[in-house]
Amino acid sequence: MRIYLALTVASLKMYFRNKQALFWALFFPLLIMTIFGMMNFDGYNSPNVGIYDAADNKASHAFISALRGPDDERLLSVTVDTLENIHHELEFGSNRAVIEIPSNYGIPGEYAEIKVTYDERFQQERAVVATILRRVTDAVFKEVAQVPNEYRVENAIGVSESLITGQGQGYKAWLIPGITGMAIMQTGLFMVVFTLVRFRSQGVLRRLKATPIGATHFLAGQLTTKALVVVIQTYVLVIIGSIILGVAVGADLIAAWFDLTVLALLGGALFITIGLAVSGWAKNEETAAPIANVISLPMMFLTGVFFPLSIMPDWLTQWSQYLPLTFLVDGMRAITVEGARITTLGSELIGLGVWIAISFAVATKMFRWE
Amino acid sequence: MTTAIDPVIVAKDIRKKYEDNVAVDGISFEVRRGEIFGMLGPNGAGKTTTVEILEGMRDADSGEAIINGLNVKQDPIGVKAIIGVQLQQNAFFDNLKLSEIVDLYAKLYLAKVDPIEVLERVGLANRKNSKYAELSGGQKQRLSIAVALVNEPVVLFLDEPTTGLDPQARRQLWGLVRKIQTEGSTIVLTTHYMEEAEELCDRIAVVENGKIIALDTPDALIDQLLETGFKPEKRVREATLDDVFLHLTGRDLRD
Repeated sequence: MRIYLALTVASLKMYFRNKQALFWALFFPLLIMTIFGMMNFDGYNSPNVGIYDAADNKASHAFISALRGPDDERLLSVTVDTLENIHHELEFGSNRAVIEIPSNYGIPGEYAEIKVTYDERFQQERAVVATILRRVTDAVFKEVAQVPNEYRVENAIGVSESLITGQGQGYKAWLIPGITGMAIMQTGLFMVVFTLVRFRSQGVLRRLKATPIGATHFLAGQLTTKALVVVIQTYVLVIIGSIILGVAVGADLIAAWFDLTVLALLGGALFITIGLAVSGWAKNEETAAPIANVISLPMMFLTGVFFPLSIMPDWLTQWSQYLPLTFLVDGMRAITVEGARITTLGSELIGLGVWIAISFAVATKMFRWE
Repeated sequence: MTTAIDPVIVAKDIRKKYEDNVAVDGISFEVRRGEIFGMLGPNGAGKTTTVEILEGMRDADSGEAIINGLNVKQDPIGVKAIIGVQLQQNAFFDNLKLSEIVDLYAKLYLAKVDPIEVLERVGLANRKNSKYAELSGGQKQRLSIAVALVNEPVVLFLDEPTTGLDPQARRQLWGLVRKIQTEGSTIVLTTHYMEEAEELCDRIAVVENGKIIALDTPDALIDQLLETGFKPEKRVREATLDDVFLHLTGRDLRD
């Protein structure tokens, strides 16, 4: 225990005396956050609309695809999901409106009432969605106008509107947990890879091997230090990030900070073990850098750090949703901007756990002293 | 202090092969308590491998190494706890002060020592706030000896401690090694400088191709050579070029 403490204190001192490491861990992510936050990508996309399709028949599918518009010119960014999920996304996430298609939609002779709920804070999006909805229902009406009276569309479709005040804060608030997740990945991966590979090539690790301590003590000290750095980094990035971008990140509860800490530690543990595996594999500093980049760069762009996965093609998101960073960023986002608790996160925790187990197994096989 | 067992090191028929290259080919010797034991030989003769097997840094293919009664293979951690090691290539954490480095290593042995005192013993107390990277070659070697001393080792292993040092620094290190010996440590030293071996070592093992080809005191080894009728090529002079250099540049350290 004393040995472990001594190694931890020493490696903390080493870390905080390294000004360059501090720059990359804290200042650089804040810079990226500010730049992307200022660009404010909110207005560029067609409004996000969540649809709950209780009918799930030919007519309702045609209706949804009409709302979506042609492939090359999307009218609305439509996500079809459960009633609960689309409302959650409206209240806390990026949905600007939700549309509920009743189960009797498209059944001849039945009157189907479509319910639309808007987030009243987004008037412009509301107008866009309402216009498109009217156009689409009109089109459906005209298409069937010649049919006998009992099948007329005004007898068949009605639209009822309601309003809520959402708590989602748009792109800026969405960006903060994303960049924080990315920064955790960078710290875990690069700090571990570079310190360990350098220590090894300089012979520092060999010198430690000549003492009675085992690999475990040294590694435990390294891991503790990096875990602390990751937590400090998370706090600094979330707090200062939301001050700079002028948004209130949902984590105003003590409990949310606790959840965020747990999640940051899990993410830190994951990327540190990946870093350990890479540092065992890489022969020297020259090969370590490209390997770490090959792992981190694709994740940076494929896991929704900067832009939502919904704007990417399906064939890409099909597998990128299983990347380690996706689970971390999704989890952080759920807690900071969607009001989730760590106990309500399911797939994110499972995903992180599985990846930790995999990389731990690889790291213990790969680690070398010299 | 650990109980005294003499001989403090026993090596029995140690063998080590790397792929198809035989590094150590059946080396046996004993080191007595309190002596400075030298291992001499050209580069690649197997000195470092032998020493690293004794230190528990490498496993021998066969043979036995016993330090102060402990079998190195069976109790490597016990052995590492009672020896001090200066590796041929030493490196220490950057961003730590010398006193912090010594303190850290002392804690790894659970030893209670004053880091400043340890630095004092190797003449580095005035550099206690410096970083490792800021030290000269001789100072780096002295720091690595200081780190090797934190656990009051029964045996101190020095692997080519003066390689790459200037004559002044070398002489200062010799003085330090002798001082450590008089303080009660047994020292095993590898070198390829003959005058270093002659100056410091009580007994010398000459290693070549993984075997010990001669083992005796420096004087006895020279006498044995002279008995064969050997005559040096050059006339023996009263001084060497080393003496000339030191006379011209002084014995004071440059760091």
